[in-house]
Amino acid sequence: MFAPLLAEAAAPSGGLLDGFVQLLNGLGVSWSGLIAQMINFSIVAFILWRFAFKPVMATLDERQKKIDSGLKYADEMKAKLEQAQQESAAVIKHAQVEATKLIDEARKAAKEFADREQKAASDRANDLIAKAQQAIELEKKKMLADARGEIARLVVVTTRRVLEKELSDAERTRFNDSAVRELTGA
Amino acid sequence: MASSAKHAQKFARRLFQLSLADGAVSAERVTGVLAYIEKHRPAKPVMVLRAYHRLIAAELARGQAVIEHAGSVSDASLQAIAAAMTKKYARAVTAVPRPDPALLAGLRVRVGDDVYESSIAGRLEPLTAG
Repeated sequence: MFAPLLAEAAAPSGGLLDGFVQLLNGLGVSWSGLIAQMINFSIVAFILWRFAFKPVMATLDERQKKIDSGLKYADEMKAKLEQAQQESAAVIKHAQVEATKLIDEARKAAKEFADREQKAASDRANDLIAKAQQAIELEKKKMLADARGEIARLVVVTTRRVLEKELSDAERTRFNDSAVRELTGA
Repeated sequence: MASSAKHAQKFARRLFQLSLADGAVSAERVTGVLAYIEKHRPAKPVMVLRAYHRLIAAELARGQAVIEHAGSVSDASLQAIAAAMTKKYARAVTAVPRPDPALLAGLRVRVGDDVYESSIAGRLEPLTAG
């Protein structure tokens, strides 16, 4: 079907452009129609570009930016969350260490306090026992001394009474003479 | 008050010095001192007289050997004691006997504040002191 047209176009009658025009004419395409179609296409393309593609592209760009921003925000949040988790873990660990330390110190202080109290109570008890023993010992000594003094007093009183009755004047005189010799050193 | 007491003591000591003759208390001088005090009353006369009396009594006691005894003591024994005390204190000491049956037997001699004892009561006394 196209062979005659191509042959006609290949004929060296009016140059390449003329041949091309003749080819288009042979195909039923007129210049005016082609130009009108091109203009129409341009107008439609412009309108589509201006009022359809461009807003859609802008919307797509905006959504893409939002998605990128959201992803970035999500990544940041994830990183912050991980950091926060690490920090909270560190804080919890530090708090656990501090709590353990405090508990140990409290246990140690409680033990020391209990030991001190026990020692003080023991010392007080020993002191009381020692004082009681001293008091008993003193009471015993006092009782013995009182008994000894009372016995001595009774012996002396008895001796005095006996001597008052039994000493004769002659014996008294002899004792007095002896006392004179003792006092004068004779 | 303390100053006047001190002054009275000092005055009594001066009167006491005037009462001595040859180192011994003289009755005549004591009489003269008392007459002087009666005529020229000093400040705080009672305080002065008490201090003077204390000094005279102490001096007289220093010259007396009070011999407390139970049973009889011969004059020779009394003189022997007076001689021993005179020798001991290097001043004249006279013996003043005083019976004390509580001694049971023996003697107790007091010269001033000094006491010499050789009696049964004196030997029994330490036993009761414990």
